[in-house]
Amino acid sequence: MTRAVIAAVALVVLMVLSGALFVISEWEQAIITQFGEPVGEPITTPGLKFKLPLIQKVHRFDKRFLEWAGDVAELPTKDKVFIQVDAYARWRISDPLLFYQRNPGGERGAQSRLDDILNSATRSAIAKHELLEVIRTSNRTPVSDEAAFEPDEGQLDAIDTGRENIRREILASAKNLTASVDLGIEILDIQFKRINYGEQVLMDVYNRMISERVRISDRFRSQGQGQRAEILGNMERDLQQIQSEAYREAEQIRGRADAEAADIYARAYNQSAEARRFYEFLKTMETFAATVDPETWLILSTDGEFYRFLESSGR
Amino acid sequence: MPADRGPRTLLNYSRPPRLPQLPLAGIRVALLVVVGLVLISSGVYTVDPEEEAVVLRFGRYVRTTEPGLHFKIPLGVESVIKVPVERQLKQEFGFRTERVAVRSQKGRRGFENESLMLTGDLNTVVVEWVVQYRVVDSKKYLFRVRNVESTFRDVTEAVMRAVVGDRTVNEVLTVGRQEIEDLVKQDLQVLCDQYETGLRVEQVVLQDVNPPDPVKPSFNQVNQAEQERERLVNEAQSEYNKVIPRARGEALQAIQQAEGYALNRVNRAQGDAARFESLLAEYTKAPEVTRKRIYLETMSQILPKAGRKVVLDGDLDGVLPLLNLEGGAVAPRSEEP
Repeated sequence: MTRAVIAAVALVVLMVLSGALFVISEWEQAIITQFGEPVGEPITTPGLKFKLPLIQKVHRFDKRFLEWAGDVAELPTKDKVFIQVDAYARWRISDPLLFYQRNPGGERGAQSRLDDILNSATRSAIAKHELLEVIRTSNRTPVSDEAAFEPDEGQLDAIDTGRENIRREILASAKNLTASVDLGIEILDIQFKRINYGEQVLMDVYNRMISERVRISDRFRSQGQGQRAEILGNMERDLQQIQSEAYREAEQIRGRADAEAADIYARAYNQSAEARRFYEFLKTMETFAATVDPETWLILSTDGEFYRFLESSGR
Repeated sequence: MPADRGPRTLLNYSRPPRLPQLPLAGIRVALLVVVGLVLISSGVYTVDPEEEAVVLRFGRYVRTTEPGLHFKIPLGVESVIKVPVERQLKQEFGFRTERVAVRSQKGRRGFENESLMLTGDLNTVVVEWVVQYRVVDSKKYLFRVRNVESTFRDVTEAVMRAVVGDRTVNEVLTVGRQEIEDLVKQDLQVLCDQYETGLRVEQVVLQDVNPPDPVKPSFNQVNQAEQERERLVNEAQSEYNKVIPRARGEALQAIQQAEGYALNRVNRAQGDAARFESLLAEYTKAPEVTRKRIYLETMSQILPKAGRKVVLDGDLDGVLPLLNLEGGAVAPRSEEP
């Protein structure tokens, strides 16, 4: 009999304890409500916790950084280019009590509140800036390979604000908005995950890129032809120079030699009147000897000197 | 009883006739042993070499244990979460490796949104890349961020686009790859720390970086044009190299020929002059005789060489009648062998 009573009491105690004890993990925080009314401080440390069984209820919330992903929407920039902006944000439940009170829909409800705040902050920031400002972060000087590009290509146009500052702008306005409506939420960061051209713009961009490449190809081709012409021109010039210089030098050498030879001849043949006469005679003889060949008819007059020799020798 | 008289089946035989009356103490011991075994088996856990284990007691972190065999308080008091801290993890962007093999296959379909991005000169480019990372702080990894992997992917995409957005399309496609990898790794680590993910970025590796498909042919054309430029220049250069050295050689040849001519001319002049000097010396001694001698010597050389010799009497008036014979006289002679 007493044994049965003890067993029954133990069972009841166990049931009460199991309703009174609960575990909060490292990544959780919780508030306790009693008949729907929050009681006590929010529980933000992990471990084994107590509550009144049956009448108190535990509401758990995540303590970690949570995700928010923006709508992928086509937004116009200040320079009227439609771009697809895909932003993401990190947020956390900073005040579970406030969060419980202001977000009856729980996390899902909070996400839709965040949608309103963050999407509109993004939209208005994008609309305030030109496309280039959203894309670029700094005014760095790009590295370009010299050979391939003209000075005006491969350059980056200057920007004033830049991606990072626009991002901070959005973050600041989103933080202000969430703080002002007391959602119990803290926004930690917002980033542009993807920014791309809208479908319509993309075709135009592709066409522009193609025409840019065609321009570059054309320039390469004409550069090649120009350089080729230059080299061939150089070749022609060098050729003329080499040939004419060689001609000049050769003729100078020949001329000097001719002059020297003439001088030598003159000195020999022109030394006296007698030498001149003798030279004339010799040259005549030489020339005479050189001009006679088997086709020559030699007509000798008996009046000629040759025959006079014959006659005189015969006499 | 009728039931007992039924056929004696195997089942009937195998049924133990009656449980023997065991002592109560024996049952208790057996029960304790079973309970003990259950407790021990639920209190033992092993940690693989590439892992470490985070132990929670009633949800609160108490300790981290190294690889090996360990004990925890059973019955749900302590729970264990294993984290592969030594394993290198990898995320692919713009593609997924579909089949890991010697030649891995890449799937790109459906990931164009990940890889298409804008460059700083407002062009578009398709970038595929891989990030290798590790969990270095398992407490942060487990407790600070929900969905660490998807957070990590978001952060990586944002950082990559910010870096590419600050570069020209040419830099992204060619010269700037290493710089992009380094910068993305650095910026990515900063954000991972800021978000308390407990991750360390080991490596960012750009894979294929291409212009978008519709634009690709025109980029190829640029390469072709560049090749063509090289080709034209090389051809012209080779033409130059073919012509000019040869011309130089020919120029030298012409000059040497002139030098030869000069030597020849001067030497001959000197020779002629010397000969003349010698003859002149003889001539001066006996001018008349020498003249005659030379004349006669010359004639004796000439006479045998001439084909026809005609001797005319000095009293004859003209030679013309004789010369008319040429046609008749020369022709028969030419018929001789």
